Amino acid sequence: MPLPDFLSRKRKQKRALTSQLDSELRFHIDELTQANISAGMSTDEARRQATLEFGGRAQIREELYDVHRLPFLETAFSNLKSALRFIRKSPAFSAAVILTLALGIGANSAVFSAIDAILLRPLPYPDGDQIVKLEQSNPKIKSPQTFVAPLRVEDWNRLNSTFQALTGYYTEDASETSGALPEKITEALVAPRFLQVWGIYPAIGRDFSPAESQPGGPPAVLISDRLWRDHFHSDPHILEKHVRMGTFSPAIVGVMPASFLFPVREVDVWYVIPANAGNRSSTWYTVIGRLKPGVTINQARANLASIQSQLGKQYPLTDADLAIGIDPLKELTIAGVRNSLWILFGSVSLLLIIACTNIVALLLARDSQRRHEIAVRFSLGASRSTLIGQLLTESFVLALAGAALGLAVAAAASRVFRALAADLPRVEEIHLNTSIVLYSLLCSVIATLLCGLLPAIRSTRTNLSGSLAQSSRTQVSGRRPLQWLLVGVQVALAVTLLAGAGLLLRSFQALGRISPGFDASRVLSFHVSASWAETADMKGLTQRIDRTIDALATIPGVESSAIAASLPGIPDHSQTELKVLEGEVDPQHKIVAESRFVSPGYFATMRIPLLAGDLCRESADPGNLNILVNRNFADTFLSQSTSIGHHLQVSEKAFPLMGEIRGIVADARENGINREPGPIVYWCTSSPVPDPFYLVRSSIAPTAVVGTIREKLHEIEPSRSVFAIAPLQDQLDDTFAEDRLRTVLLTFFALTAISLACVGLYGTLNYSVTLRRREVALRLALGASQKQVLKQFLLQGFGVASAGCAAGAILTVAFAIVFRHILSNLLYSISPTDVTTLSTVIAIVLTVAAASSLIPAHRASRTQPMRILREE
Amino acid sequence: MPPDKSDLLQGTLDMLILKIVALGPIHGYGISLRIRQISKEVLYVRQGSLYPALHRLEKRGWLSADWGQSDNSREAKFYQLSAKGRKQLASEELNWDRLAQAITQILRTAE
Repeated sequence: MPLPDFLSRKRKQKRALTSQLDSELRFHIDELTQANISAGMSTDEARRQATLEFGGRAQIREELYDVHRLPFLETAFSNLKSALRFIRKSPAFSAAVILTLALGIGANSAVFSAIDAILLRPLPYPDGDQIVKLEQSNPKIKSPQTFVAPLRVEDWNRLNSTFQALTGYYTEDASETSGALPEKITEALVAPRFLQVWGIYPAIGRDFSPAESQPGGPPAVLISDRLWRDHFHSDPHILEKHVRMGTFSPAIVGVMPASFLFPVREVDVWYVIPANAGNRSSTWYTVIGRLKPGVTINQARANLASIQSQLGKQYPLTDADLAIGIDPLKELTIAGVRNSLWILFGSVSLLLIIACTNIVALLLARDSQRRHEIAVRFSLGASRSTLIGQLLTESFVLALAGAALGLAVAAAASRVFRALAADLPRVEEIHLNTSIVLYSLLCSVIATLLCGLLPAIRSTRTNLSGSLAQSSRTQVSGRRPLQWLLVGVQVALAVTLLAGAGLLLRSFQALGRISPGFDASRVLSFHVSASWAETADMKGLTQRIDRTIDALATIPGVESSAIAASLPGIPDHSQTELKVLEGEVDPQHKIVAESRFVSPGYFATMRIPLLAGDLCRESADPGNLNILVNRNFADTFLSQSTSIGHHLQVSEKAFPLMGEIRGIVADARENGINREPGPIVYWCTSSPVPDPFYLVRSSIAPTAVVGTIREKLHEIEPSRSVFAIAPLQDQLDDTFAEDRLRTVLLTFFALTAISLACVGLYGTLNYSVTLRRREVALRLALGASQKQVLKQFLLQGFGVASAGCAAGAILTVAFAIVFRHILSNLLYSISPTDVTTLSTVIAIVLTVAAASSLIPAHRASRTQPMRILREE
Repeated sequence: MPPDKSDLLQGTLDMLILKIVALGPIHGYGISLRIRQISKEVLYVRQGSLYPALHRLEKRGWLSADWGQSDNSREAKFYQLSAKGRKQLASEELNWDRLAQAITQILRTAE
């Protein structure tokens, strides 16, 4: 029941009660008055006497209210008051509990905020779960050929029965030239129905008109909020302006909302491409669609499969072999980070359990001090459930304070996430909201039950007469096995976390130590803006890029320069099937290799050594390129019958490419630093794409030549912009941003866990020393040496830590086996059950545990027997 | 209010109320009247004790209450003994007998 309803009902009940009480009491007074009149009094006198005899009516009414008052709220309120009193009375204890919980709940809520934003919430578009991505592929060729021709998108959109609409987009970099200097922007060429599929509207202006989507229609663009603010200075008359990109100068018809998080984040302008552009073999569009309400992915898949087979009959040359893949856009966006996030969530949950265990131990230690108070309250007639309720309220108030503080931690966490992994998908959506607050609240309730229930039950279980009679001074403490069990649990969980962190750390280190087969140090990479329109004149494009490469090489401090269609060490996924033109084709042994497109200077720039044959040159005939293959390719596919001088051709009909093998180079981890190199074919051409990555090796620090490179390029290409200029090594490091994120965070959590466990060990041992000081004093008085006492307590702490470590080791191995598949994806060149890591972790934990046992043990050994014994 | 009336022994009021109500449905005024009459003006229950006690007993389920017509046709709240209240009354009477006997015993022996 909502609270306001509840309150108004309570008010009504109270009004009814008041009127009933009043009429009952009035009846009594009236009867008394009547009796007095019968006895001969005047009416006025009779009433006066009756009222007098009846006594304070208001007071009686109050007492009756007390009888009827809600018992639950009443107790909750008094419990709350007593909890606050308890907290005020022991500030140090409360602060320790609150801080521990703030850490536990804060870390938990922080990771949950990321999970909520990235994994749980739908994409930030209206009915975002209806949005899917469509890919085409040719099952006969391994290469994923995901981009779809505009004509085919139109066919799919026209023929399907499961989508509200389908559209496509394609992004490239361009230069906006209306300012003094060309500004690099990213443009998106989109199919009709683009905004309809996303379900959004421009913040200013309108969607493309049907005329603008027609061939030969008036050119129009939508611009991003960023471009409107930065480039046009938030011009209110923006709809009268034009964007200028060289000779192309379309009118601005709208400004997109700032909240529109397009899958390609940096897009500045969108313009619509007529539906009939290109031919059926064009590979342009990333295709997205919006499902009709209630349609499942599988229905859509079946629908489009039948459409495509129909198209295959109609256009056998281009469409016969295509299959269509459909997946939720959200799944594709977040698939990569899911495991990392759940692993982090698992670790912070362990951390919260450790924090709670720690607090249970603290509460239990206080238990003996409060036993007297509890016994008194028992004897005054409080029921056990009342007392448990009171003790739990205390824990809850502490947990709530911890959660509030933890929320502050969680609020700061989104910044940490952004700093550690800026490329994390949807990272900009992480922020504090109601679901995080509710989650923290839930955490504090769970923490209350975890921390409070056991101590509350235990401390109210004792028979009270015994407690009342016993003076705590003469009480001989038991061995308190429960407290030691709790310490052991903390150590075990901390070992598990630390082992996880250790594995990630060692895996991360191993990544850093890999020799990738190329040398990324002192190499800069950057882009020079270009347009695909330039591919109409391939010769001119090649000349333009060659001229740029040559100019770069003349800059002082630059050793060599080259271009590549994709950066070395960063996955490109361009597996293609090839065939050898000479000799017989063996259909049993398909040649499938990764294709990389590089200029001839690439191998010198990246320092990939030539093993056999010659280095490649730019071929004069674009239909017969020079090819270098890597060692793996040579070992796998070359033999006497196929060798240097033979020709390779891409098998795809739509993609004619042929070249001659000129030589063999050493293996390099082109497709990811953490992946063994597979067979690679390098196609030597300066103009694989209009906008390749430029790579420059310098003899001095790469950042020192950035300025001169910009100057030189402005000199030779004044209308083009240079952008994304960064050391190659930094970009390689960024590909491990997610590894770095989980490694840093898990290490932090593990260190927190081990600190908590040590504090727990220290506290429990310290407490045990205090309780047993009489026993120790007696033994010392009877001739035991200080060394023996020291050893005894040290061994007690160490023993519990060792048992915890053993349990932790078993737990770690169990986790490693259960989550084998997830872990082996996250770890590089290290097994989840790596013995070195585990034994190092255990050695560290034992050392720290011994250190934290040392102080209490030392204190015990310094007990002054006579003083303690005289206290009695 | 007459000063010489004896106050009720702590805890016995509940028992007396139960006993009076056991005779038949009755309102608060009637109960205070009955106690006074039966005890021959010795016991006098203040309204300030009577009504809280009545409501407490009702809440515990020993009494049930209904609004009805009084002798002079006015709306009054009538109390009635429940089955639970009857059991309670029986046990309290038993207790009282034992207590009274014990006290009498002590008083006699000490003479």
